[in-house]
Amino acid sequence: MAFASKSPWVIHYDASSCNGCDIEVLAALTPKYDAERFGVINTGNPKHADIFLVTGSVNERNISVVKEIYDQMVEPKVVVACGACACSGGIFHDCYNVLGGVDKAIPVDVYAPGCACRPETIIDAVVQAVGILDQKSQAMKKGGSR
Amino acid sequence: MESYSVSLIVSLILVPAFAAVGMLLAKRDGVRDALCIGFAVAIGALSVLFSAHMLGQGSVFFSLPISWSGFLSAAALIIDLAVAAFIICYAVKYKRWLALAMAVVQLVLLVIIEGTTGSGHTFSSQMHVDGLSIIMVLVIGIIGSGICVYALGYMKDFQNHHPDQPDRRPWFFALMFVFLSAMFNLVLADNLNWIYTAWEVTTLCSFLLIGFSKTQEAINNAFRQIVMNMLGGIAFQIAIMLTLAYGQPALLSDFVTSAASGLLVLGLPVALLAFAAMTKAAQMPFHTWLLGAMVAPTPTSALLHSSTMVKAGVYLLIRLAPAFLAFPFAQWMVIIIGGVTFLAASLLAISQTNAKRVLAYSTIANLGLITACAGVGTPEALWAGIFLLIFHAVAKSLLFLCVGTAEHHIGSRDIEDMDLLFERMPKLARLMMLGMLCMFIAPFGMLLAKWAALVSFVETSNFLLLGLLLFGSAATFLFWAKWMGKIAGIAQDQESIEGTVHRSEWVSLNLMAVLICACCILMPFMSMSIVDPFLKGVYVIASAPLTFGDMRLMAVLVVFVVLVLFGVVGFNKSPKAAPYLSGATLDASSRVFKNSFSKPTQATLRNLYLEDMFGEKVLDKPVTIVAALIMVVGIAGSFLAPGMFDPQTIAGSLEANAISVPRLCAGLIAFGLLGPIAGCLLAGIDRKLSARMQGRVGPPLLQPYYDVRKLLSKRHTSVNHADTVYVFSSLIFVWIAGGVFFAGGNFLLCVFLVTIAALFFILAAYSARSPYAQVGADRETLQVMAYEPAVLLCAIAMFGVAGTFNLFELLEAEAPLVIAGLPAFVALMFVLTIKLRKSPFDLSYSHHAHQELVKGVTTEMSGPTLAMVEITHWMESVLFLGWVGMFFLWSNPASIAVAVLAAIAAFVLEIFIDNNFARVKWQSCLRWSWGLTLACAVAMFVIIAIL
Repeated sequence: MAFASKSPWVIHYDASSCNGCDIEVLAALTPKYDAERFGVINTGNPKHADIFLVTGSVNERNISVVKEIYDQMVEPKVVVACGACACSGGIFHDCYNVLGGVDKAIPVDVYAPGCACRPETIIDAVVQAVGILDQKSQAMKKGGSR
Repeated sequence: MESYSVSLIVSLILVPAFAAVGMLLAKRDGVRDALCIGFAVAIGALSVLFSAHMLGQGSVFFSLPISWSGFLSAAALIIDLAVAAFIICYAVKYKRWLALAMAVVQLVLLVIIEGTTGSGHTFSSQMHVDGLSIIMVLVIGIIGSGICVYALGYMKDFQNHHPDQPDRRPWFFALMFVFLSAMFNLVLADNLNWIYTAWEVTTLCSFLLIGFSKTQEAINNAFRQIVMNMLGGIAFQIAIMLTLAYGQPALLSDFVTSAASGLLVLGLPVALLAFAAMTKAAQMPFHTWLLGAMVAPTPTSALLHSSTMVKAGVYLLIRLAPAFLAFPFAQWMVIIIGGVTFLAASLLAISQTNAKRVLAYSTIANLGLITACAGVGTPEALWAGIFLLIFHAVAKSLLFLCVGTAEHHIGSRDIEDMDLLFERMPKLARLMMLGMLCMFIAPFGMLLAKWAALVSFVETSNFLLLGLLLFGSAATFLFWAKWMGKIAGIAQDQESIEGTVHRSEWVSLNLMAVLICACCILMPFMSMSIVDPFLKGVYVIASAPLTFGDMRLMAVLVVFVVLVLFGVVGFNKSPKAAPYLSGATLDASSRVFKNSFSKPTQATLRNLYLEDMFGEKVLDKPVTIVAALIMVVGIAGSFLAPGMFDPQTIAGSLEANAISVPRLCAGLIAFGLLGPIAGCLLAGIDRKLSARMQGRVGPPLLQPYYDVRKLLSKRHTSVNHADTVYVFSSLIFVWIAGGVFFAGGNFLLCVFLVTIAALFFILAAYSARSPYAQVGADRETLQVMAYEPAVLLCAIAMFGVAGTFNLFELLEAEAPLVIAGLPAFVALMFVLTIKLRKSPFDLSYSHHAHQELVKGVTTEMSGPTLAMVEITHWMESVLFLGWVGMFFLWSNPASIAVAVLAAIAAFVLEIFIDNNFARVKWQSCLRWSWGLTLACAVAMFVIIAIL
C-alpha cells in the first residue's frame, strides 16, 4: 500500500501571483472545501512537504527561490502549477522580466489552469498529483535509492 | 595498624607541602612538569590508598604522639601569625584599611585564644576519619591533583598570552599545592584550632591566587574575597573562644555531640560556625567574592569550585548538621539562606553570557542546595548533600577545565562565541556536554542527588524549601539547556582546532570525564559502602532516600547517554542538506541569505538571557538584603534565645520501594506496543474533533498513522545527521518514562526521564543551527521551564497526600488523589496545554496551518526523523494523560475506569481550548504558569500541612 497518496503535505509558494490564486489555495483549506479530508496539510516548510504548489509566473528575481525550495523538498515530491501564470506566464507572459511558467525553473507534474484557478481545480490537481507521488514513491522503492 | 593510618594521614598533609616547596624551586618547564606530575600522582595514589585502608573502619580517631603536641601547637600558632602578617603586609601595600582592620582584629582574637588555651599541653592532635573525610580526601586528592596537572599546559598558554607579566609560575604552583595540603588538614583534623588554621590558609591561598595577575580588577576582587572570608574567620574564632569559655573541649566531634544533645550555651557558637562556613561556601549575601574570583587563571577557579575552598564551607556545614537539629534559629538561618541562594543564583545564571560566571552562579546555587540539605539535617537530606558535593566536584572541575581550554583556543569565554564548538573542538565539546548533563539532568548524579533532596524536604514537610527548589530547578534547566544548544550546533564546514591542546590538559579532562561516569555508575555502591555507614555512624538510623533499583536503572541509562554522546552523535559524515533560509540562501553554513535588496545578510541568533526578568540589576539587591537580614536574625536569635523553639526530632524514615525488574520490563513492553497505538488514535481523534469543532468533516481517523508511514517512506535527509540521533534518544527516554509510569513505578523518576527526553529534542533542534529551529528550541526550553514546577508539584502532592511516589501504592489509597491534591491537579491541567502543544501555548511548534516560525523546533527535521518526532509525541500524549488519570486512582478496582474517563475528558477539554484560543507570547506563558503554580503550591502546602 502506498502511503504517499494518503498524506499529501503541501507547501505553497507565491512566485509572482496577483494573489488571486493564493486566495483560492487558502480557500481550498477552509471548511467549505476541507482539503484535510484527503490528508492535505499546508506545512509552510519544504522539508516537510510532498507537493509544491506554485502560484504566479517565474521571473528573474524569484527563480532561484523556486529552485531552492524545490531542492530542499525531500524525495519523492511533485510540483503543481496553480493558475494560468504558473502554467505559462499567463497575461504577464511577455512582461520584460517574466521568464514564463514554473516549468522554466523546475519540472512541473500537474498543471491547474484558471485565472484564478478555482478551489475545485486545485483539489483536483492535488488528487492527480498524489497519483504521481505514489508512482514516484514506488519507483524510489524499486530503485532502492533509500 | 594504627601507626600505618597515622603515617598515611601525616603524608597526605606533608606531601603536598613538600610539593609546594619543590614547585618554588623548579624554575624550568621540564623540571616543573616532571615534579608536578610526580607529586600529583603521588597525592592521588596516597588518597586512594588512604581511602582503601580506612574504608569499612567506621568513625575512627587517631592521635599523633603526645610528644609532638608542643611542636604542633607552635606550628599552628606560627602559621596563624604568618597568615595574619601576609594579609597585613598586602593590606598596607595596597592601602586597604578595612582588610587591615579585620586582620588586626583576627590577630587580637588569636592572642586571646592562645591565652586561654595556654601552652601546648592542652593542644590535642586528634584526627578524625569517617566516611565524610574519606570522600573529601578522595575529592581533594584526585580532582585537586588532576587540576594541578591540567594547570601545567594551561599556564604555559597563559604565560604566552600575557608576555608582559613576569613568569611567576613557581609561585602559582606552590600555592596550588599548599591549598591541597591545607584542605587535607582541614578535613582530617578534629581540633577546632587546627581546623581554623587550615581554614585561614585556604583563605590566604585563594586571596593570592585570585590576585595572581595583579591587575587592578584582580586586586580588587582578591580583597573583596579576603574581607568576606575574614568576616567568617572572625566568626570562627569567636565560636572557638565561646566554646572554650563554656568549658567545652575544642574538638569538632565533641562539639557537635554536645550541641546535638541540646547544650544551650552552644547555640551561638553553632550559628557562628555556620556563618563562617556560609561565607566560605559563597552563600548569599557573600556570593560576590566567588564571582570576583573568576579573574584568576582558570585552574584556580576549577580548584576553588570543585575540590577546595567552597567545599571546605559545605564540609563544615555537613559536619554541623546534627547540631542544627537542636538549634532551630541556626537551622532555619542555614535552610533559608541555602534555599534562597539556590533559587536566586539559578535565576541569575540565566542572565549571564560569560561562561565562567554561569559556572560560578551554578556553583553558588548548588552549594546553596547542599547548605539547605545540611540545615534540614535528617539522614536523607545529608545523603543528598554528600552526593551533591561529590557530583558537583567532578562535574564542575571538568566544566571549568573545558572552559579554560576553550578560552585559550577560541579566544573568548563568552557563551555566544562557543557557537560551533562541537565541530571546532569535537572532543572538548563532548566532554563539556557530559559535564553539563551531569550538572542538571537525570540519569546523572547531580539530579539523583537533587531528587534525594526533594524527597528529604517532602519527608520533613519543609514547604519553603520545596517551593524554592521547584522554581530553582526549572531555572537550572533553562540556563544549561541553552548553553548546551549553543555548543551543539553543526555547520558542516568547520576545521577542528583542538590539535594544539596540551597533552596534560587532555589527561586531566579525560580523568574528570571518567570520574563522572564512574561516580554515576558506581553511585549505588558508594551509597552502600561509604555514605550509608557514615550516616549510620552519625544518626544510628539511616536509609538512602533512593532505592537501589532506581539507582541501578539510572546507571544503565548513563551508559546509554555516554555511548550516544561519544560514539554516535556527529560521526556520520555523509552528504548533508542545508538549513532552511526561506529559499534565499547564499551561504548555508554561515547562514547568509539574500535580503530584499539582493545584498547578503547574515542570520545571527543569540541565546535568551532574559536580563529584564532575571538580570543582576533586577535581582541582586533585593536578594542580598533579604539574605543579610536572615543572617542577622539567625545569629541574633541564636544569641538571645537559643532554646526558644523546640528542637526538631527525626522521624523514622519511610522505606522506599521500587518496582521489580520483571514488572518494569512488562511495563516497557506494554507501553512500547500500546503507547504508539493509543497515541496514534488519540492524535486521530484530535484531528477529527478539531475538524468538527471548525465545522469540517476532517481526515480519516487513522490519518496520523498514514502520515507517519509516508514520512518513513521518504528519503532520509538531514542537515547534520546528529538530529536523528538526538530525536531517537528522545524517543527512547519517553518510552522508558512511560514504561516506568505504566508499570506503576516512581512518578518522580518518570518526570525526570521526560525532562531528559525534552532536552534531547531541544538539542536536535539546536544542532541544526537553523534560525527557525533555534527560535523554536529557545521557546521549547522556556516551555520546559514554565511547566516543570507544576509537574514537580504533582509529585510533591502525591507524596504529601498518599505518602508515596509509587503509582502502584496509589491503588491502595482510600480516596483518589484529586480530592486532597486538587491544587496540584489544577496546576497540572494548566500546564497540560503546554505539554500537549496546544494553543494558546503552542509556542515552539504546532499542528495549526500557517505560523510565523515555519515549523519551529521541527523545521529541519524531515522524513523518518520527523516520523520519530510524531511517534514520540503520540507516546508523550498517552503518558501525560496518564498523569491526569493518576489523580483518580484509589483502592476501588473501578478507579482505573474512572481514571481513563478522566483522562479522556481532559483530552477533549484540551482540544476545545486548542480550538478556541489564540496563541500568546512566551512571556505570558512563563508568567502565567509560574504564577498559577505558585498559587497552587501555596494552597497545596497548606492542605498537606493540615493533613
